[in-house]
Amino acid sequence: MTSSSSRLPKTRQSLPPNTRHPLSQTSPSSETPLPARQLPLHNTNNRRSTPASAASLFRSTLTPPGSRSASPAGSLARSSSAARSPARMSSSTLMTGSVFGGGISASKNQSLLDAVDSDGGGGGGVGPTDPLNLLLRSFVPHIAIHTSEDVDELVRDKGFRGASRGGGGLWELLRPFGERVQGRVMIRDSNGAAKAWEDFAVRFVRFGEGVEELEGAGAAGGGSGSSSGPNGKDAGGAGKDGRRRREELIAEVETVVERHLRFAEGAYAGSAGMSSPPLTPTREAADVEATSPYYALYLRRLLSGMPLACHESFAHPVACVMAISSRNPAPIEALQKLYRETSTGQRSPPPWVDGEYLRYYVLVHDEENGDIAKSMALFEQMKRNFGLHCHLLRLRSSQSAETDDDSIPLPRSDWMTAAEELADIEESETREDFEDPTRYIFESDATAIRTFVREMVTQSVLPTMERNVSIWNDQVASRRRGLSGRFMSLSKRFTFGSSSRSSSGGGSSSSSNYDALGFYRADSPEAIMRRLADFAFMLRDWKLAMSTYDLLRSDFQNDKAWMYHASANEMAALALLIMPQNMSSKTRLETINQMLEQAFYSYHLRCNSLYGAVRCTVLGLELLRLRGGSGIDEAVQWGTRVLESRLMGTVGDALLKERMAVCYASKKGAGSQAWGSRRRKSALWSVLSAKAWVAQAKYVQAHKCLNDARRMYALLPGECGVQSFGVASDFLAHLNDQVKAGLRPDVARGDDGYGEDGLDETEVDEESETLGNKRSRRTSLIGPPGGGAGLETAPLHDTKPATMQGRKEDAAPDDGFG
Amino acid sequence: MSYYFAIIGTQDNPLFEYEFGTSKQGGDGQARFSEQAHQLNQFVLHSSLDIVEEVQWTTGQLYLKVIDKFFNNYISCFMTGGNVKFLLLHQPTATAAGASSARNSTSVGANPTSPQTEEAIKNFFNEVYENYVKAIMSPFYKVNMEIRSPVFRQRVAAAGRKYL
Repeated sequence: MTSSSSRLPKTRQSLPPNTRHPLSQTSPSSETPLPARQLPLHNTNNRRSTPASAASLFRSTLTPPGSRSASPAGSLARSSSAARSPARMSSSTLMTGSVFGGGISASKNQSLLDAVDSDGGGGGGVGPTDPLNLLLRSFVPHIAIHTSEDVDELVRDKGFRGASRGGGGLWELLRPFGERVQGRVMIRDSNGAAKAWEDFAVRFVRFGEGVEELEGAGAAGGGSGSSSGPNGKDAGGAGKDGRRRREELIAEVETVVERHLRFAEGAYAGSAGMSSPPLTPTREAADVEATSPYYALYLRRLLSGMPLACHESFAHPVACVMAISSRNPAPIEALQKLYRETSTGQRSPPPWVDGEYLRYYVLVHDEENGDIAKSMALFEQMKRNFGLHCHLLRLRSSQSAETDDDSIPLPRSDWMTAAEELADIEESETREDFEDPTRYIFESDATAIRTFVREMVTQSVLPTMERNVSIWNDQVASRRRGLSGRFMSLSKRFTFGSSSRSSSGGGSSSSSNYDALGFYRADSPEAIMRRLADFAFMLRDWKLAMSTYDLLRSDFQNDKAWMYHASANEMAALALLIMPQNMSSKTRLETINQMLEQAFYSYHLRCNSLYGAVRCTVLGLELLRLRGGSGIDEAVQWGTRVLESRLMGTVGDALLKERMAVCYASKKGAGSQAWGSRRRKSALWSVLSAKAWVAQAKYVQAHKCLNDARRMYALLPGECGVQSFGVASDFLAHLNDQVKAGLRPDVARGDDGYGEDGLDETEVDEESETLGNKRSRRTSLIGPPGGGAGLETAPLHDTKPATMQGRKEDAAPDDGFG
Repeated sequence: MSYYFAIIGTQDNPLFEYEFGTSKQGGDGQARFSEQAHQLNQFVLHSSLDIVEEVQWTTGQLYLKVIDKFFNNYISCFMTGGNVKFLLLHQPTATAAGASSARNSTSVGANPTSPQTEEAIKNFFNEVYENYVKAIMSPFYKVNMEIRSPVFRQRVAAAGRKYL
């Protein structure tokens, strides 16, 4: 068995990495030897169950969540493939699979997601992996969860690891339900106009977690400032520390996506090694603009790790759920204790977080052991003591098994952080008896939690946010908007120590509220305005958000608060991009570019913040792409900037190149010759990404990219693509040979511990429908339908007579690819 | 500074290719592309045909100046009357001459978008065009046929030495 680590040197030798050239791709990450895996020879029992359960870890890329948005035929094919997946295991696996719930759980998982989805509606017709949708679902209100010991205990009885034992406790149970609030949510904007959103979401976080440490004294990043972050950590089970630097986040995201890719490689090798005919690894080739599942994953992991930083308040808690259970002997006292902990305790938020967030009191009633009358009485008492922000959540306390009639699997959170997912994957690899992490809950519990989340969001969280927005807008922001406000900021700038600044702490000698520590205190007008803008952004009031960010930009620049400055610029640009366009597109693009430029510059050079730079450019790129027209060229320029400054690792690099190809492909030309389209460019980027994937020994992806390139070249009006260029066609042929060698089953087999139980990569090539129109030669690109021999007949070969090698004649001369 | 010059026919087919380096500032006229760049040059050149097709309708000039940039590669274009394109990919040796390029920024090639460079490339294109017209006037030449004339190649080389 040849491991990929031993195969790599050969690959790299044939593609000598030249570090001077910006396109060169060295892949240090893939050089690291694979972790020791179990040999395929022993303990076959485990091998039967392990891949199935591990596959559920990789569900997000194996069965792309975007299937719902696709055309009916496509989604049908895909969902049927998900349902088919258990059947593809060997028969013995099928039997165990029904017990341990391998592939079946995947389809069941989907059912709950569907239930949640259909409750929420279509979300405006955009798929869940659509970048805009991802963006909307990532900048959402964060709700902290703080529970008493007895709730922990109750949740532990339900089969979840309690918070004190390193698990998530109630948080783990609630988290998936925050990803889509059931039903329509009405949000009023600053003008009082209500708009209904179907896909509103909140993010549940553990209280006091993810607090980022300050970077030195603000501006010059890279310092290892050790101030603040006053939370003693105790929940270390998921292996994540809230204070880890954002810079590590990118590396973690890279690793996670790399694991997914490696799993896909292994799965492909497995499926090719089985008795069934090898299938083409190409998936969803039909839609050029579809987001690649890996890219979507990359984005999602990037955005889900949003730290509780001082310069933006998205991750600051909007509300805090404080939960006790009916088992508590002294409930009111327990709640008071929890309250004290959130405001003054050791884990209370740092001074840049507003402490006046909403407290939401929850009484978890134990349906099986508790007395409902007693709980109702207690709940009434809670309402009297704490006001209306209370909820009685009725849960069953026993553990639900998969075999129960009314059990449904708790879906894995889409927005788990990279570190968590990494920990899961690593656990699945190191532990032999790794079991499917899917937990099951009762249908009634799910309904209760859904109702609870909806009620909390619509009746408490949103009204509070709306009220705060209008108060802050009236009291702080509108003062700055008028003429006098501009004078005020001027006078603040030029008269030192004037009375115009309000209560800022810190006793700084300058007139700015920017503390000597490098942050604005939560009660300074700047921080309040930033919060106003962020709230408006989360409530999707783009106009208000945009205008507020715009005000802040100049303030932060004057104070030389560069992180703040970068972030305000970034969000202003994003808000402007999301806003419906009414200005002339030219000026807007210029403004947006300027803002992105400043954000990028501040993040990257002034603050040395990798995460910020990547996030702002990638999001900017996606939104610019959606603009279409010249926005696409701008988008690619931003992508090139990211590549040039080498912000991402090798995986991100290759994914980004792939994405650029998609960007260019989505530019539509005019007229019969499609002037103004960017097909050649798109093909170029596809080739580049294929090259990058090959350098990382990710042959499945490389194959897909090469296919994309071929398709683009075939669409060209000219007859021959790059075929007539000698060096280029040689290069392509060489690349293709490498991909074919990498995909050959005997080489790829055994390279991964997942062996022959590969679940996916089974999509039948759908290209024939989209491509088989007027040009007959395109059919030669596809191979016979059914994908049975897709790889073998794919005319990737050099078709010059000298190197013909007995390929099929019909696949020959003018497929544009030589 | 390295150059890759290609004449592209109407079907995106290369009619003529020539790689050379600068002869100014003591250059020896040899192209200094790395092997990777060498492989990618044709892709890059081919991909900028997208831009050519867009830009060629916006101006009445034959010389379109620098139309595209791909990382450190700049592409200048010259349209002929018959929709045959002259494309010149020029790659300033940025990493090596990073410091010195600031000093002799007036030199051709140090700054690919400077007026001097534009002018030099224009002269180069004009001279090549003249020779190209002479070459295709050959009665044995058909449209979109590769130009194999050694004399033409010599003249292109001479033009490159003279101007770039």
